[in-house]
Amino acid sequence: MAIADLDRHEVWRPVSLAALLERLAERHAAGAKTVLLAGGTDWVVEQEMAKPSQPGDALPLLADISCLGELRGIALTGTTLRVGAATTYLEMRRHEEIGRGTHRAELLARMAQDLGALQIQARGTLGGNLATGSPAADGVTVLAAYDATVVLASVRGERRVPMVEYQTGYKKSLKAADEAIVAFEMDVPARYSWYWRKVGTRRAQAISKVALAGIAVIEAGRVTRVGLGMASVAPVTALLAKTRQLLLSAPIAEIAGPDLDAAVLGDIAPIDDVRSTREYRAHCARILVKDFVRQLGAKV
Amino acid sequence: MKLTLSVNGAKREVSASPAARLLDVLRGPLGLTGSKEGCGEGECGACTVLLDGDPVNACLVLAGQCEGREITTVEGLGTPDSLSPLQRAFVEHGGAQCGICTPGMLMSSEAYLRKNKDLVTLRESIAGNLCRCTGYQRIEESMVQAEQEGRARTFGTVGS
Repeated sequence: MAIADLDRHEVWRPVSLAALLERLAERHAAGAKTVLLAGGTDWVVEQEMAKPSQPGDALPLLADISCLGELRGIALTGTTLRVGAATTYLEMRRHEEIGRGTHRAELLARMAQDLGALQIQARGTLGGNLATGSPAADGVTVLAAYDATVVLASVRGERRVPMVEYQTGYKKSLKAADEAIVAFEMDVPARYSWYWRKVGTRRAQAISKVALAGIAVIEAGRVTRVGLGMASVAPVTALLAKTRQLLLSAPIAEIAGPDLDAAVLGDIAPIDDVRSTREYRAHCARILVKDFVRQLGAKV
Repeated sequence: MKLTLSVNGAKREVSASPAARLLDVLRGPLGLTGSKEGCGEGECGACTVLLDGDPVNACLVLAGQCEGREITTVEGLGTPDSLSPLQRAFVEHGGAQCGICTPGMLMSSEAYLRKNKDLVTLRESIAGNLCRCTGYQRIEESMVQAEQEGRARTFGTVGS
């Protein structure tokens, strides 16, 4: 479907999450497609690039969830930060617990600052970033770093899926066709270090060649919690399991550079494409992890 | 289908599909051709308008998503007889050359001056707007002038 087809789509604004889930279930049962549209910063661009539809092609229903209150908002309860799936990056940057004031989840705000430009940040959402399934998604690296829980809902009820299980392959996930991403829950400790670095062609409006989001808790010279998420180095956001394991295995000062490099290279599967090469991505991946780990006190 | 949009402070009823791009509804049925289409992919910022005061790419927003929200376009800043301080500054400092990026630059600048000065730097506020003529220097100078004038104002009206 191309831009010329846009006008022919039906747009529906659900009044509640329950109404959205009912219609999703009904349409799914009838074999009809529904697009949950938040910021549109991916979907509308896809239409721009797509071929025009043929007469008789069924168009998906566009469910505009950009103003649906139950999918929006940010709240910190204890150490659990809940971010509604349709909360925009700009809202995160402005929020007391994230971008301003306490900076409790500053990693989220720092990443949001590098995502697109203000125009994209004013529309784009974390839910959309995960739903579109791009391995280059900057927002998803932060969900991975905090080991977020994805809250999904359908007429069957709500379920919580950890990020480590959510992505099952390139643009594939555990989310069923009649489920909506409602929110993300992140355990945000009171004391921790965070890291964010994006490698792109320019500071704004760049799609990551590689990006790394990380968090770490260090107690008595040892990493007791670590979370990592890397963009554009695998078919899905890379969680760098071997690297995490290595960092937890010994006092931070005893982590050896060659072991770290080997762990990172074992965790990623970069490719050559229009934005970068396999080799450069592998190089950046090692450099970024080292940069983070050095700042944690490792001599690598 | 009828859509009701609030544009530049006025309610406008328009015959358009809610799935049409906001940019097409502005430039077509609403006759507001100030907003330009550059890339149509959210990269260049030529179509930047304000949605509830924040800059958005009108090429990526569907018109139906804007119902109940306030849209401000370049036509809402000033008139040819009475330019806004920002528009005047762009004229005086050569902030506009070929003109294609100018409406978007003005809207991003307006959002910066009105709402985002404590969140982003001046340069970051126009990072989503490409200009191939000015090298950005004169745009920056225009914005700085408008900012300084804003600080030195001796008269204002609150509310509209």
